[in-house]
Amino acid sequence: MEDLLAYLHIAPRALQPGVVFWSSIVLVVGGSLGELVFRVAGLPRILGYSAVGMVIAVVGQGAGEYYLGGVLRVIVDLALGLLLFELGSRVNLRWLRTNPGLLFTSLAEALLSFLAVFAALRFMGLSLNVALTCATLTMATSAAVIGRVASELHSAGQVTERMVILTAMNTLIAVLLHKLIISWLHLDTAGDWMLAITQPLYTFGGSILVAALLCGLVAWIARRLDLRDENSVLLLLGLIMLALTVARMFNLSTLLVPLLAGVLLRNTSNRPWVWSRHFGTAGGVLVLMLFVIVGASWSVHSLLVGGVAAMVLLLVRTAVKGLVITAGARWSGISLRQSLALTMALTPLSGTALVLLADLQISHPGFAPQVAPIIFSAIAIMELLGPIVVQWALRLSGELPASASSAKKGVRA
Amino acid sequence: MSVGHFAESQALSMGVELELQIVNLHDFDLSPGSGDLLRLVGKHKLPGLVTPEITDSMIELCTGVCHSHAQVLSQLTEIRNALVQCAAQLNLGLSGGGTHPFQQWSERRIYDTPRFHQVAELYGYLSKQFTIFGQHVHIGCPGPDQALVLLHGLSRFIPHLIALSASSPFVQGTDTGFHSARLNSVFAFPLSGRAPFVLNWGDFNSFFDKMARTGVVKSMKDFYWDIRPKPEYGTIEVRVLDTPLTIEKAAAMAGLVQSLARWITMERPFEPAEDDYLPYTFNRFQACRFGLDGTFVDPKTGEHRTLREDIYTTLAALAPHAAALHADDALSLIRGELAGLGNDATWIRGVAEREHLLPEVVRQQCQRWAGHPSR
Repeated sequence: MEDLLAYLHIAPRALQPGVVFWSSIVLVVGGSLGELVFRVAGLPRILGYSAVGMVIAVVGQGAGEYYLGGVLRVIVDLALGLLLFELGSRVNLRWLRTNPGLLFTSLAEALLSFLAVFAALRFMGLSLNVALTCATLTMATSAAVIGRVASELHSAGQVTERMVILTAMNTLIAVLLHKLIISWLHLDTAGDWMLAITQPLYTFGGSILVAALLCGLVAWIARRLDLRDENSVLLLLGLIMLALTVARMFNLSTLLVPLLAGVLLRNTSNRPWVWSRHFGTAGGVLVLMLFVIVGASWSVHSLLVGGVAAMVLLLVRTAVKGLVITAGARWSGISLRQSLALTMALTPLSGTALVLLADLQISHPGFAPQVAPIIFSAIAIMELLGPIVVQWALRLSGELPASASSAKKGVRA
Repeated sequence: MSVGHFAESQALSMGVELELQIVNLHDFDLSPGSGDLLRLVGKHKLPGLVTPEITDSMIELCTGVCHSHAQVLSQLTEIRNALVQCAAQLNLGLSGGGTHPFQQWSERRIYDTPRFHQVAELYGYLSKQFTIFGQHVHIGCPGPDQALVLLHGLSRFIPHLIALSASSPFVQGTDTGFHSARLNSVFAFPLSGRAPFVLNWGDFNSFFDKMARTGVVKSMKDFYWDIRPKPEYGTIEVRVLDTPLTIEKAAAMAGLVQSLARWITMERPFEPAEDDYLPYTFNRFQACRFGLDGTFVDPKTGEHRTLREDIYTTLAALAPHAAALHADDALSLIRGELAGLGNDATWIRGVAEREHLLPEVVRQQCQRWAGHPSR
């Protein structure tokens, strides 16, 4: 054998699987598993991606308590950035003005779930700062989960529309509050007044500036090129990535920049935005990696430490969202069935919370480990449950097209 | 099963039905919102009715029994305003137009009632392709025989009405070249076309009974004729109009049909005959395909002229009748259109040419439907 190899000039090389190797394996396994759950069980594909991540975490190869950093953070930022940009571009602010019931629901849903989670965690005996931080980090609905499930299943209707706008709003509020909480922690731990005031101002101002620039550039391009064109989509992706990189360089919010840019784009011009299907395809690789990474972020240890608190947190969060949405249902113009579906659709928790936690880790490395187990556990619990619940919600409200229900039988359009 | 009694109605009274498109405000594709819209609009006290249609991205509104063009317009305005307000609360848009320019019919969902499911089962893809939007105008008749005479008298003007109301040049993202592509979908149905040439109710009843005995039809609803008698209301129903882009145009078209009915009934300018139908499908095709520039073959003389010319002649003859019905405003709106773009199909093509983006066309259609000046 060795003679043969030597004869053929094939020098045996030591097998050293690197990042590329493991990434490819993740893509292949995640892609196959995603397709499998979709075909066999009729479930959203992202469930398969997350499952791969969860397996990685169970066998102890996950990020565990090491937080999001390095290349993983870059992938998560980019994938989430694309999804948030798309989400933002569907937010019609005029709707909130013409439907005050919806505006009320949006604000109350975000703020009351924050207050209720805070109160519940305090009641369980957690410290003020831990309760405050956990409540902030879990305020937002996962834009990644609802965005992907809705677009994969082609849902359309009031629940779909409202879950998009409510998620955009609670993400926006959560990010703003998170920056204020970080200031509060600066004040509390170091008593640094200057930092507490200047830092959030810098982050908000800077993020708005970069978002406005991104929005302006995209609008400029859209006037000249057809955004449905495959090449313009690449250009668009490039611009968003550039904006996110700039945001990271200047320590701005990688959540706020794409979300705001999308919202600005949608609301500064009447002309409809028509995204290409390629937008999803090109970002698809990133999205798969995002769900694997988020799925792998927890560890068995963190679940043991923070599991109970996380359960309480999720229950309180869901209950309050449900109460607020049901209370505002008639006023905002939806039925009780739709309000139940909307409540379910707002429960997912994933990438956004993880990124906020990573930001906390950067600014307060000493304090972050106190909240991490709870957040990791909450993400882990919702990781597989979230997409399924959203799918249920959309089915309950009758917003899935007939073709999505028949996907299970292998019928393809 | 029989056609039944022809209800009494006041001569030349009228009612208007309009089928509307429900679209989302992101990419302006059709959106399944009729259930939500009906729930919200149910809280409003309105002069007419708002009802579901076969797929859940369509909604139908109709006026009550009206006597004048002004009354139709005021009822339509009231219903329109309520609907537009409810749609805004749901982040939806409403639009006229005979077809949605780029919707994919395979994505439509059948509205959940037994009859609609039955129809969908029978006609298959035709029923989803039937996601088209028309205006129906009812004209009251003193009795069934008068109704049949009026029906066959009005048939001569079907091409005129098609050309004026046409608003469906685009289907599934492509310019069909037609002014009213919507009617191509209607013609695909086996029982579409014209009513049989009978001029009294007894003969009509025996025709219906023979058809019913074949098992092909069960009620008048199974006929998709261009004009059909509606015995329950005591009216004849003109069904060839595309839903216009504005309620003003819809009311004007109703006023035009009413004036035509008065002229035909009072002056009997043409004696209806079976032979009038010889050029019928030719004329109808010309109107659908070329709009006002289509060729019109005079059924009596065989003379060829453009529809535009024949419409001008007709409008002149209608003037005293429109005056008697207080429908002058309706006719002057139509004269204005003739002097300008001619019909909504031409407007739609113009916007599509300028904007190169069909969703933007639908957005501007929504603006016009809501009564906001288009930009």
